[in-house]
Amino acid sequence: MFAHLFQTPQEPQKSFYVADQGVDAWGQLTPLASTFDHVDHVFYFTMWMCVFFFVLIAAVLGWSVLKYRRVRFDQPAASNVTHNTPLEVVWTVIPLILVMIIFAWGWKGSLDMAVAPQDARNYKATAAQWSWTFRYHNDPGSSLNELWLEVDKPAAFTLESKDVLHAFFIPSMRCKRDVVPGRNQRIWFTPTRLGDYHLFCAEYCGKDHSLMYAKVHVVTAEQYGKRPWDTEDPDPKVNGQRTYEALCKSCHAVAGPNTAIAPSWFGLYGKSEAVIEGGQEKTITVDDAYLIESIRNPSAKIVKGYESAGRMSPFDQGQVSDRKLGFIIEYIKSLK
Amino acid sequence: MTTHTPHVDVHSGAHTGTTNYLNNTSGFMSWAGTLDHKRIGLMYLIGVSMAFLAGGIFALLVRLHLWSPDGALFTNEAYNQIFTLHGAFMVFLFVIPAIPASLGNMVLPLMLGAKDVALPRLNLLSFYLWVTGAALAMYSILAGGFDTGWTFYAPYSLYTNQAVISIGLGIFILGFSSIFTGLNFIVTTHKLRAPGLTWFRMPLFVWAIYATSILQVLATPVLGITVALVALERTYHIGIFDPRLGGDPVLFEHFFWFYSHPAVYIMVLPAFGIISECVSVHSRKPLFGYKMIAFSSLAIAIISFLVWGHHMFTSGQSTYAMFAFSFLTFFVAIPTAIKEFSWVATVWKGSIDLNSPMLYTLAFLIIFAIGGLTGVILGVLNVDIHLHDTYYVVAHFHYVMMGSISLAFFAGLHHWWPKMFGVMYNESLAKLACAIIFIGFNATFIPQFIMGSRGMPRRYAEYAAEYQPFHQASTIGAMILGCGVALMFGYLLASLFAGKKAMQNQWGGVTLDWMTPTPPPLENFHQTPVWRGEVYDYSTLDLRSTQTPVS
Ligand code: HEC
Ligand SMILES: [Cu+2]
Ligand SMILES: [Cu+2]
Repeated sequence: MFAHLFQTPQEPQKSFYVADQGVDAWGQLTPLASTFDHVDHVFYFTMWMCVFFFVLIAAVLGWSVLKYRRVRFDQPAASNVTHNTPLEVVWTVIPLILVMIIFAWGWKGSLDMAVAPQDARNYKATAAQWSWTFRYHNDPGSSLNELWLEVDKPAAFTLESKDVLHAFFIPSMRCKRDVVPGRNQRIWFTPTRLGDYHLFCAEYCGKDHSLMYAKVHVVTAEQYGKRPWDTEDPDPKVNGQRTYEALCKSCHAVAGPNTAIAPSWFGLYGKSEAVIEGGQEKTITVDDAYLIESIRNPSAKIVKGYESAGRMSPFDQGQVSDRKLGFIIEYIKSLK
Repeated sequence: MTTHTPHVDVHSGAHTGTTNYLNNTSGFMSWAGTLDHKRIGLMYLIGVSMAFLAGGIFALLVRLHLWSPDGALFTNEAYNQIFTLHGAFMVFLFVIPAIPASLGNMVLPLMLGAKDVALPRLNLLSFYLWVTGAALAMYSILAGGFDTGWTFYAPYSLYTNQAVISIGLGIFILGFSSIFTGLNFIVTTHKLRAPGLTWFRMPLFVWAIYATSILQVLATPVLGITVALVALERTYHIGIFDPRLGGDPVLFEHFFWFYSHPAVYIMVLPAFGIISECVSVHSRKPLFGYKMIAFSSLAIAIISFLVWGHHMFTSGQSTYAMFAFSFLTFFVAIPTAIKEFSWVATVWKGSIDLNSPMLYTLAFLIIFAIGGLTGVILGVLNVDIHLHDTYYVVAHFHYVMMGSISLAFFAGLHHWWPKMFGVMYNESLAKLACAIIFIGFNATFIPQFIMGSRGMPRRYAEYAAEYQPFHQASTIGAMILGCGVALMFGYLLASLFAGKKAMQNQWGGVTLDWMTPTPPPLENFHQTPVWRGEVYDYSTLDLRSTQTPVS
């Protein structure tokens, strides 16, 4: 009855996160790799203040318990005071002053995070269940689940969601912003250290939320100038497979039969298939035109049996250019 | 000092033989159709304990799965359902109703010197609404489960093809249960106080339940409306939250947190009430700053309506909204700090009895200090941007919801257990269990603070390998915690069959709940009590009652 809940042993190892350069055995925070050092300053200041109050509370409690423990059943309290105005004023006013300082400091920091500097490079990050697509400043290229940034150069992102809520989160950069469908949000930061970093999706977005991950490569100006995101293999099938792995693998299988989540691509090309179009059932043959439509506008014809399955969001030019679409079709053709 | 013993005969149990609320009638209908607040409280206690056990099992499954970075047990879909079930069961079926509906129902009328709550039939209705909500939650599991997280964020909750409507209906109905209980307690507190029991002579548990009830009545309708809108949106595609239809998912977040932030205080204020009682009785000392504690409950209740936006600092609110929400959030910190300091000052120079309810109370004071202080860190705008939606937040709210609220619930359970059943559990086992729970709890959640501030996002079925040591430590902690809780339920249940007789006034309390016979008879008091003295005046304590076993 519950067997379907468990992983099957033949499922491949999925640990694919990079080794983040930020890992450090001792810090409470990941080491900082951007200019937002005020986050760390306020964090550590507040943390030590909290440690101080905690130790104070624990010490008074511990001492009281040792000193005033009831040893006779009729032992009355050592004191019955219920008020001490100076003390009460002190423990109201001092925390109030402290939290106001922290508040103002944090607020100032958040203003710094709100507006990108003029000379920032503009990027666009498109979030979809469960992938990140990046487009670069004044550049026709794009990259999937991998992002290249130049060190010490402010990077400003427009965040766009194709389906549900996601969140753009790079722990080492101290930045996070929800990606809200229908509202384009902005975020910026300046990477200051070379290396590879995690970009997580921090807002729950369904099945593969935890695999919605991109590697951030912070590189030198020289490496950045070589446009490392623009790589294409001479074999179209290989390019198609790459796109598949980044964008489609979380739902579609390429071997074996259809799954509960989505139809399998194995033997798909040229097959005749029952689909629902505008509420009517009909039979089509899978050809290039059908595949293009299935990707650009999936709800036009829905494969029979998937009417109530989770939806496939349309993939537009921004995520899958026509060129890439051609590669995917070549890849699907090869799956026999 | 003169004695102000209220007009209550502590030993009057003697001339009525042994009839009490537990044995005055019997048979299934005498329970299922009862209007007695104590029996209803007891039925709630059984219900919420079962919900807690179910939620706890889901929690252990989550922790076991996270033993390895690829996920040790489940598929990602199944994992998402299990963490959702854990959250939904714990929040809606356990933490929100636990203290007010079980212990509150049991003790509030006793503390007021009343025969029952003001509206006993409504009280029974609340209970059956709770049962209906719980049944719908179970049905939703059988109908395929749901994977939205307990927060039901749109638009995911609109698109996922799972049993969202039935659980939504369940939450809607549970909301009514909560509203009716709140109404009932407000009316009871206003109308049924014993003669002489003025507002500032009420025990602080009553104040806490009163403040909670106000929140329940005012905030819960918003939750009902929100889940109803989600259901309508799913069925009729109106376009309120769905961006494809021109709706706004951020609006959902506003609605949701407008309820769910005050809900945090619906959950935690009753816990404060229990702690106030336990700190005073087991230190045999009047509460330090009684009025400050009472007013801070009300202050928290009011301010808590104005801070919901602190759950949405990364959602793209205007910077001015962020300013206001962060500023007000720090204002909640002040009354909360006052409470903590006042409790500590009460313990200081008390006559401290280190019995099990007091140990749970001390554990609460430590854990709540951590939960509250980390809340201050999260309220800072720029820091929250980094910490939001990571395990740091998970650890913080578990320190508050599991560590503080459940520990206060356990403290209350141990405190009033002898009152409710006239028997005592095994104290040595109780102390041992408290220690195990305290250690297990911290072992579970301290690693989560560390990995959270290092960037581990929440609700992840799989994770990067560098977080594994923290996850494993947390899983081991959770197993220890689970053993402690199992031990606790074990000796509590055993005490019902083989427990020693409790004392009439086991701990030496001086509020009205300790002045009825133990266990209380059907209408609580043989004559209407008249209250003369101040509250928590231990000079009135009749020490014989702490040495006289129940008859
Ligand atoms: C969220 C899960 C999901 C993702 C991600 C996804 N799909 Fe789909 N796909 C589906 C579902 C469900 C269907 C069946 C319903 C339909 O026809 O719209 C489908 C159908 C299809 C079909 C038609 C299959 C047939 O048997 O006729 C094609 C072609 C397709 N998808 C291509 C893609 C490509 C290319 C990508 C990646 C760029 C992709 N899908 C990503 C869920 C997904
Ligand atoms: Cu996500
Ligand atoms: Cu809140």
